[in-house]
Amino acid sequence: MDPQNRYENVGWTRKTTTKRVEMTTQETLAVAAPVRSRRRRRGGLGAYWLLVPAIAVLLIGEGYPLVRQVIMSFQEFGRAQQFGAPPEWIGLDNYRELFADAQMWGVVVRSLVFCAVNVALTMLIGTGFALIMLRAPRVPRVLLQVSMLLCWAMPVIAAMTAWQWLFDSRYGLINWTLTNLGLGDFTRHNWLIEPLSFYLVATVIVVWMSVPFVAFTAYAALTQVPEDALEAGQIDGANAWQRWRFIIYPSIRPALTIVLMLQIVWDLRVFAQIHYLQGVGGVPSETHLLGTYIYTLGVGQSEYGMASAFALFVLVLTLILTGRYVHALLKAETV
Amino acid sequence: MKLSTMTRAAVVTTVAATLLAACSQGSTTDDPTDDATEDAADEGADEGEATDEAEETDEPAETGGEASGETITLWLAGETDTPVELEEWLVTAFNEETGATLEVQRIPWGELLERSNQALPDPDNTPDVIEMGNTQVPTYTSVGAFEDLSGLLEELGDIGPEGFIEAGTYDGTVYAVPYYWGSRYIFFDKAAFSDAGLEVPTTLDELSTAAIALREAGDDGFSGLWLPGQDWRNGISWIFAHGGDIAVKEGDQWVGALSSPESVAGLTQWQELYAGASTAPQDGKDAEAWVPFNNGEAAMFMAPSWARWSVEETKAEDLGAFALPGVDGGVAPVFAGGSNIAISAQSQNKELAADLMRLIFSDDYQTMLAENGLGPANPAFTELMGDDEFAQAAISAAENAKLTPASSEWAAVETASVMEEFFGRIAGGEDVATVAAEVDGQLADMLNG
Repeated sequence: MDPQNRYENVGWTRKTTTKRVEMTTQETLAVAAPVRSRRRRRGGLGAYWLLVPAIAVLLIGEGYPLVRQVIMSFQEFGRAQQFGAPPEWIGLDNYRELFADAQMWGVVVRSLVFCAVNVALTMLIGTGFALIMLRAPRVPRVLLQVSMLLCWAMPVIAAMTAWQWLFDSRYGLINWTLTNLGLGDFTRHNWLIEPLSFYLVATVIVVWMSVPFVAFTAYAALTQVPEDALEAGQIDGANAWQRWRFIIYPSIRPALTIVLMLQIVWDLRVFAQIHYLQGVGGVPSETHLLGTYIYTLGVGQSEYGMASAFALFVLVLTLILTGRYVHALLKAETV
Repeated sequence: MKLSTMTRAAVVTTVAATLLAACSQGSTTDDPTDDATEDAADEGADEGEATDEAEETDEPAETGGEASGETITLWLAGETDTPVELEEWLVTAFNEETGATLEVQRIPWGELLERSNQALPDPDNTPDVIEMGNTQVPTYTSVGAFEDLSGLLEELGDIGPEGFIEAGTYDGTVYAVPYYWGSRYIFFDKAAFSDAGLEVPTTLDELSTAAIALREAGDDGFSGLWLPGQDWRNGISWIFAHGGDIAVKEGDQWVGALSSPESVAGLTQWQELYAGASTAPQDGKDAEAWVPFNNGEAAMFMAPSWARWSVEETKAEDLGAFALPGVDGGVAPVFAGGSNIAISAQSQNKELAADLMRLIFSDDYQTMLAENGLGPANPAFTELMGDDEFAQAAISAAENAKLTPASSEWAAVETASVMEEFFGRIAGGEDVATVAAEVDGQLADMLNG
């Protein structure tokens, strides 16, 4: 067998990433279109040549695994096949088994809800922070920016370890604080054993990790909102809400849309945080999301065929969820 | 919708950078290509060497006594399980013996299965010799990942334990041999026992009584016996002690045995012990069981022998050990810890790999294993483990230790956390017989592939 198998192991995450990169390529084209059309008249296909390395990397790094994944989803592909046994073509059996699996649908529903809640919270809090940064005086603003940059830069596993200690049932700071604040008896309270509570912890961590990116992007967009338009609005008697609704929001909407799309993709394929939390507590079979479920199926149980089929389903799901934003973005750019 | 050029550029750049970062994440942890170049370079160098080696094996002689310039790779499981002195000795002795270089890589237990899945089938990336947990080995013997060791067995000498050899055997052929064994026993605080006027328990019932008494005598949150809810590796000892099993093979089918009367009796006793004597979390696992003990929050804990070195000095003075007692006295069968070792079927240097195996089973290395508290595969060296209570507890616990079902699908049960969840539910107070019957069904599904 070839070393490419390694890619199938983490197949679905990579697949969704592929899609994202392709979208971004389109966006890049779209975003850059007006500029380029002016230049093209001056001749030369230089701009296209600049894209060649990126496309080559995509084709080699993502295209091949994607093709393999599609093929494997129609095969019985397990550990024996990985060690050289010829895979058997089984048509749609993987898909049939998958769609008949109640646990799989549970995972899909949980992932969608988790994604929706996390994206909404991240976008709201992130935009909120961006607005604060815009208004705040220099020193607090820089402090806020530095701390957010630090939390964005923190490696996932290091951050997870810190969060695990905070939520530890015996020695955790959170139980200690809640108990000492008189909010109830949280002595040895176990945060991970109930699935809902598990997702609460996961949400706190995922939102904490994603807010800085949203905040910085929104802040960058906010600094570009034309001052004159705001001033004119103020003179015309627009209140703060109206200025937000009719001037600021429309100006930063394209930026927010891109971020929103990324957040949907990221929160749908969230893996490291859930996998880590499952490793330290909780009940894995009740807390699987798409990422950990496919991982357990593929890497854990060596059911690569089934895992590939599921990963392709997730790819389609991601496209459906983000398609409308991509469309909106493209349309916005051509207007 | 107008977006200023600068914002647009900023957004596009950020997005692109983030995506690139995201793309690279997946490949950082699992890239075993380091050794690819060396192995590839070794190929072809084999031919034409002198073949005056005195030792005879089934393998066609590819290398001679002088194999300088060649390198083979050994994967050791766990960052620290094999002490560094042993690794250094192997590297030096291997070089003296063969002239070739031995490169040792330590693979964390958590990554071992995943990385083996990727590396073992691939001649360019495979380790030549690999250590693997005794319960993980059956997963690989059945798919032809390892070299047939039949021809080498006699040279390796007397080896055991028997259960480990069974785990490494598929269809009557031995593919993986025992590397070392460890055993689980109870560590206890002698002071806590004497303060409470308790004797070392000699039956499982007495253990429960003592543990519950200690818990009641202690502060809120004190454990008589630290027993984490999902710690199935220690928990299954109660099943084994009552004569039960996880799953048994009937004909060519695996059948779950958790709901047998014997297993249910053991699980019920364990459930009562958890409820009465342990304040460990319901989703706790077997990692770092000594932490509450060090903190003075537990009077006993059950762990593999090497846990002794994690007990703090202040506690070490009063630290005692005894093997888990059986239902009617004697020693209960515990879960046998330990590793097997095998030669990869895709190894490009099987002759050198066999040389390494001979070194591992040499008297010198077996002595070093025993002196470092690792149960040596060759039983002649077991007595070198010492005669203090820890060594005695380890040796007697190992005598009738048992393994998990030798199904090639067992690894799937482990990665799906089936046993963790099973014990967690029992710790949570669910009806033992009902849960056991349910999980038996699940085990049958998984173990029969």
